[in-house]
Amino acid sequence: MMGIGKRTLVILSLLAVLFAVLPALGLEGYRLRLLSLVFMWIALAGCWNLMSGYTGYIDFGPVTYFGAGAYATALFMIRLDLPFFVSLVLSGILCAFLAFLIGLATLRIRGAYFAIATFAAAEALKQIVLEGDRVVGFEFFGGSHGLTLPVPPPSEFFYYFLLAFTVLVIGISFYLERSKFGYGLRAIRGSEQGAELSGVPTLSLKIKAYILSSSLIGCIGGMEAYWLTYIIPEDVFNVLRTIQMVIMTLLGGMGTIWGPVIGATFLTLVGEFLGTKFVYDYLILLGIVIIIVILLLPRGIVNLVKSKRGGAQ
Amino acid sequence: MKYLECRQVTKRFGALEALRQFSCAVEKGEILGVIGPNGSGKTTLFNVMVGIYSPEEGEIFFQGHSISKLPPHKICHRGIAKASQTIQSFLEITVLENLLIPAMYGKNLGAKKARAQAESILNFMGLQDVQDLPVSEISLAKRRRLEVGRVLATGAELLLLDEVMAGLNPHEVEEALRVLQRIRQDGKTIILVEHVMQAMMQFCERIIVLNHGEKIAEGRPEEVAQNPEVIQAYLGRPYA
Repeated sequence: MMGIGKRTLVILSLLAVLFAVLPALGLEGYRLRLLSLVFMWIALAGCWNLMSGYTGYIDFGPVTYFGAGAYATALFMIRLDLPFFVSLVLSGILCAFLAFLIGLATLRIRGAYFAIATFAAAEALKQIVLEGDRVVGFEFFGGSHGLTLPVPPPSEFFYYFLLAFTVLVIGISFYLERSKFGYGLRAIRGSEQGAELSGVPTLSLKIKAYILSSSLIGCIGGMEAYWLTYIIPEDVFNVLRTIQMVIMTLLGGMGTIWGPVIGATFLTLVGEFLGTKFVYDYLILLGIVIIIVILLLPRGIVNLVKSKRGGAQ
Repeated sequence: MKYLECRQVTKRFGALEALRQFSCAVEKGEILGVIGPNGSGKTTLFNVMVGIYSPEEGEIFFQGHSISKLPPHKICHRGIAKASQTIQSFLEITVLENLLIPAMYGKNLGAKKARAQAESILNFMGLQDVQDLPVSEISLAKRRRLEVGRVLATGAELLLLDEVMAGLNPHEVEEALRVLQRIRQDGKTIILVEHVMQAMMQFCERIIVLNHGEKIAEGRPEEVAQNPEVIQAYLGRPYA
């Protein structure tokens, strides 16, 4: 059984403290925002990994909850004048409920069918938000004009928020590595029938993991809405966000603690670097980088470390 | 009250009746063998008993309660577990972790107790030397042993063992039989499906013979072996 070494825990705590004091030491402006962005993608990819990485069910619709969380937070703040944190918690609960309904319907199907069903759910919700107002003849979601949120606090607020979420998601991954819940999920990934025959209530565990992952993604969506102050359906429900979460996790290593962390950091920083140096063709270069990494390390960057360790033993 | 009872169980796949009006009863502590040519319905019978399929007709009772409509994990919690012919181990995780999962979920144990349980099964099955290896890296014989270990780790009292000796060499079959003897001594009830006839004759107290989803014979191993209908099912009419 994999345990958390005390050393790992100490190193992680030190890192968290270091990142927490960085703004006080003068980190600001572009670098602060870039680091915030890295944290956001680590948290998002990490949330996706909690469900898809551990159970092997490839969810192609996490953006359903990112968008739902963004819109719910915006609507609670604009229409009901609720404070940000209250709106965020309510959005998380709403996303959990939505995930329960969608999960109950989709988590009985597997493989490509599950991926297609979750992808369809995201697209359906996008269309509801986009066209809902026109259909019922009542201004609520703002349609393609989007919604504008109240003026946000300074960037440091979001930096700390995202740092806290990153720590939370990594913490949950550690919990999954050694807990009964985590073993149940990995059993599902290994052989769903074998898991059932070993007494694992597979459907209920899958739904729990899906709700956990989706409600956290919803909260990050809500945070981003407040950070950007302006949201439109095409952006917050954009399938590219889903693809990014998937690719980051696959690059780093699925079903591992460090996979999403390494993948998200790598892709965000490489993307940013290429974006500033090669403004017009950085996406082509980013694609080439992704292809090279996948060809060389089909099981993720994290396995480079693992196989080296394995070889040394 | 019978320990396990199948009453008039029928299972169809489209037009094919994989099990037809099958009835049987098993006593606690008994070792029952089920034999039959390929496609006679042995694995389907096991799959109906553990809830992978629910029967179209008839009912199955375990300790007096109907289990025909329960999902596999609930049947496992009741105390029935199946070792499959197609091994159901979790390939990417270690051998020890493979035993930890059924101990945690089948027996509903906390992490510490489950680990102790998994380790004791590991020793019982003689898998200590590979405990930290992923299942994908161990031999077939050890995987078969692990599959039986997985079933034991659930804490089940009724074990359904579906061709757990398939693909093993004579030496490995001997070893597997020794393990089965020890499981039997622990007072578990076993239903065994096997093509290795030496194992069946030596090990089972009673044998049921299936052909085309129907029970064609039932009795002590030596009686069944002499039964003309059984010989005909296996070898064809001229030999009966």
